[in-house]
Amino acid sequence: MKARIGIFVLVVVAVFCFFQFWYPYHFFYHEQNQIFLWEWEYVSGYFHKAGGISSLVGDFLTQFYYYLYAGATILTFCIALAGLLVYRALHNFGIKTWMAFVIGLFVILFLTICHFTTSYKLSSTISLIGWLLAFWCVSFIKPKWTRLSCVLTMLLPVYLLFGTPVIKRIQGPDFVLEKDFAVDNEYRFGNYDKVIDIVRNSDGWTDQMLFFYNLVYARRGELPDHLLDFTNNNLGTFEKIGPNTPLLTILIMNELYWLLGDMTFTERAAMMTNVFAPANRNVRMMKRLAECNIVSGDSLAAQKYLRILGKTFVYSKWANETQRLLAKGQMPQYLAQKRKFVNQHDTITVSDNAHFLMMQLLDHDADNMVALDYILCSDLLLKDIANFKRDYDRYCEDNGTGRDAILHRIHTKKLYQEALCIWLAGTDASQDEWQHYIFLQDVMRRFGEYNEQRGDPRFKGTYWYYFDKAKTINDR
Amino acid sequence: MIDDNIMPKISYFLISFLFFLTACTPTPENVEKSNQLPPVYPDYCDVTIPENIAPLNFLLRADGCDAIEVDVRGADVVRTDQRTITINARGNEAVFDISEWKALLEQAAEWEMPLVVTVTARINGQWIQYKPFQWKVARDKIDPYLTYRLIEPDYEIWNRIQIQQRCIENFDVNALGHFEKLENRCMNCHTYGNQDPQLSMMYVRGQGGGAILNQHGSLRKLNLKAPDMISGSVYFGFSPSGRFITFSTNIIIPGFHSLASKRLEVFDSKSDVYVADLKTNTMLRSPLLSDSTVFETFPTFSPDGRYIYYCAADSVLLPRDIKQLQYRLVRIPFDEATGRIGTEVDTLYTALQPSHRSSVCHPRISPDGRYLLYTVADYGTFPIWHPEADLQMRNLETGHVDTLGIVNSSKSDTYHSWSSNSRWFVFASKRDDGLYGKPYFCYVDKDGKAHKPFCLPQEHPTFYDNNLKSFNAPELGKGKVPFDVDDVVKAMKLEAEDFK
Repeated sequence: MKARIGIFVLVVVAVFCFFQFWYPYHFFYHEQNQIFLWEWEYVSGYFHKAGGISSLVGDFLTQFYYYLYAGATILTFCIALAGLLVYRALHNFGIKTWMAFVIGLFVILFLTICHFTTSYKLSSTISLIGWLLAFWCVSFIKPKWTRLSCVLTMLLPVYLLFGTPVIKRIQGPDFVLEKDFAVDNEYRFGNYDKVIDIVRNSDGWTDQMLFFYNLVYARRGELPDHLLDFTNNNLGTFEKIGPNTPLLTILIMNELYWLLGDMTFTERAAMMTNVFAPANRNVRMMKRLAECNIVSGDSLAAQKYLRILGKTFVYSKWANETQRLLAKGQMPQYLAQKRKFVNQHDTITVSDNAHFLMMQLLDHDADNMVALDYILCSDLLLKDIANFKRDYDRYCEDNGTGRDAILHRIHTKKLYQEALCIWLAGTDASQDEWQHYIFLQDVMRRFGEYNEQRGDPRFKGTYWYYFDKAKTINDR
Repeated sequence: MIDDNIMPKISYFLISFLFFLTACTPTPENVEKSNQLPPVYPDYCDVTIPENIAPLNFLLRADGCDAIEVDVRGADVVRTDQRTITINARGNEAVFDISEWKALLEQAAEWEMPLVVTVTARINGQWIQYKPFQWKVARDKIDPYLTYRLIEPDYEIWNRIQIQQRCIENFDVNALGHFEKLENRCMNCHTYGNQDPQLSMMYVRGQGGGAILNQHGSLRKLNLKAPDMISGSVYFGFSPSGRFITFSTNIIIPGFHSLASKRLEVFDSKSDVYVADLKTNTMLRSPLLSDSTVFETFPTFSPDGRYIYYCAADSVLLPRDIKQLQYRLVRIPFDEATGRIGTEVDTLYTALQPSHRSSVCHPRISPDGRYLLYTVADYGTFPIWHPEADLQMRNLETGHVDTLGIVNSSKSDTYHSWSSNSRWFVFASKRDDGLYGKPYFCYVDKDGKAHKPFCLPQEHPTFYDNNLKSFNAPELGKGKVPFDVDDVVKAMKLEAEDFK
């Protein structure tokens, strides 16, 4: 008995530790891609289909995945409960104790594996627990025919209440995806240093990891300093949202538009995330929709989402506080800061070409440093020196409006200076032009050295080396 | 990251729930009177409703409201045998018993007596009685079925679309098109012929898709696209006999405003109008309806079948000159007996004066032929995203145009359709939040006066607050259509009928 308890506890602790310490960011994916409203109209909707209780309990518990340790605790408890029910029921049916125990452990292991994939929801485990509860209850009935008639009687009600588990696929743990979720959520919670640490300490890098790495540096005004940190870099500016765009890309695109300050496309990307999320619901995007409508001044639309969020457990505090501020004609400080970047000039574009969007933002406010760095860095990633020079001239010229600090920052970015060298050299620019554009004499000297040994690995990390050696997204 | 007030919330819920189970429903005491109308949602204050409408369940949008009393009774205080409804409830929701509601409305309509609604609410412990409002109950019934498409507001990309049919006399809903059964395809408007459920059509897009035509429950799949047409049919309307449909073909381009509050702009880069003979499977054409220098769209037959009304605009460079794209309302004769399209186009409405340029969309003539209802926006052909888009109603006998001030809102009001008795119309309005369209019903009395519209009632008053889909292209029908989504699934397996 003691041995069995010991093994059971050990397995349960192992399951908890795995999900808490090796797989915690998967919880956020589940938490975001649903919404649970604590309201009768919403809750009653669960009972329109078989399995209402499972979905209701599953979604209810899933919302708490937002909190640290809650995800692993809830999941481990559910998995352990399922294993325990199997063990107890089989034991009652007269199966040998060790056999029942091993089968119970097998169920724990199987459910743990099921939860490795994002397509498997907690409601499926709750559904299984529902069936196992019924199975366990039946196990107390001894007369064979009574037991059989009970089973037959219970089948339909149990099905209606708990439905059936949905297992779309079985796979091993996806640690690459876990890292994608890690950077996404650490960025979401404002743990920017952690995003950088995760990316730098990885052996391999996905587009999503690099996307957030760049977002962090763009926030800090250091995007050009780190653009060449990784080959095959991904800024997200070449992505478009459509029916064939991977869900993970759709999920993150709103962060780029939000940081750039384009509220039209932030709203669209958030709306698209809702459209393509399982069951068309994504609570994180609901918050983003409220935020971007507050920034763009559409208080009616913002209220719509704030009301919804006000009915959740996790986001109600933020929603209620924001509503209180709006009622007083105020808004959270971080939203007020966003407002100054909002484009007040109306034009229409027929595509979500990010280059065009960034030009619109910069035409409205050339001091939008995030947009400026993204547009220049996008040109450079594509090795599009002509467009880089055009954008540089358009937005980095001294027009006498007190942009000294901004221009100084631009003029001292090594990446931009190196790229300008390429343009100047390629156009046989005059000495005056070189003096007009190149402010860092060291860059000029190094460019001379590089031209004597083009492609030399000693120059890795320079834009010249990237320009000569790397493949662009178009090449790939 | 950990919300430290989570435990109090859970405790509060558990205590509230136990209290709910054990406590009595509170009734007003020490009532304070207010001279303000109650903040009911949806806005049902002083609206005109048909006798056969489902209960107008609502909620009171007042912070701190934890109990409510709603009293509904006839305005005629002399009559002692009149029915009344009184609701006492915890929370802020007023939900009516449907059988009591039906009896009350029947009596009010018969006696032609307005109903007076008095809302009393306990707000932060104090009972407040708001200024009463009225419901006028019209004896003219509204067509009992409403079809609409449920879709996220961003129409350019879809996922999980449904076309539903709702009985507006109660809360029954059934699907005519459902993403789960139709491979998550795009589906468009379901439109009746003469509001008759035995004649209707809807589109199921994508490979192997087509127009699904319902003729007395028998479904046909049509390929309403000849090789030389720019697209398949988009906007359409049936002729009175049901033999013809007139439809537009449109190359639809979605565009995005840089001004966030304007969001989406959808325009046609090309569009033409045709007529299809559903009996002989032939296309009827006129060069006047497919002029390459003109955008023609939104065709509809007049109720007598003698004209096709549609909208036309001179082509401009798009999207650059979108604000110069103004559609005028025009019509061209049509002979149902011969299937001949006329040779002259009359212009009925144009607003191209520099001081006030506006664009006409979605003309719909009342079945009795008296009124022409259309949408007017500043420019373009997609008023759904134009906050300034408003309905206007032209009296076809006198030429008088009613700008429908009592009907329109500061957000988009458009996409309308008539009830078969011409006394009601439904339209999609974004007045609540600017994003999500909801069906509103408006009464037009025998004198042609429009009354304040009301929103489609729902079983749960919080439905619209939680709903994240737009009610798109609402259409009224006299009865339940004789097919469902399973029949559509079967029809999709048919070979599409081509048109010559």
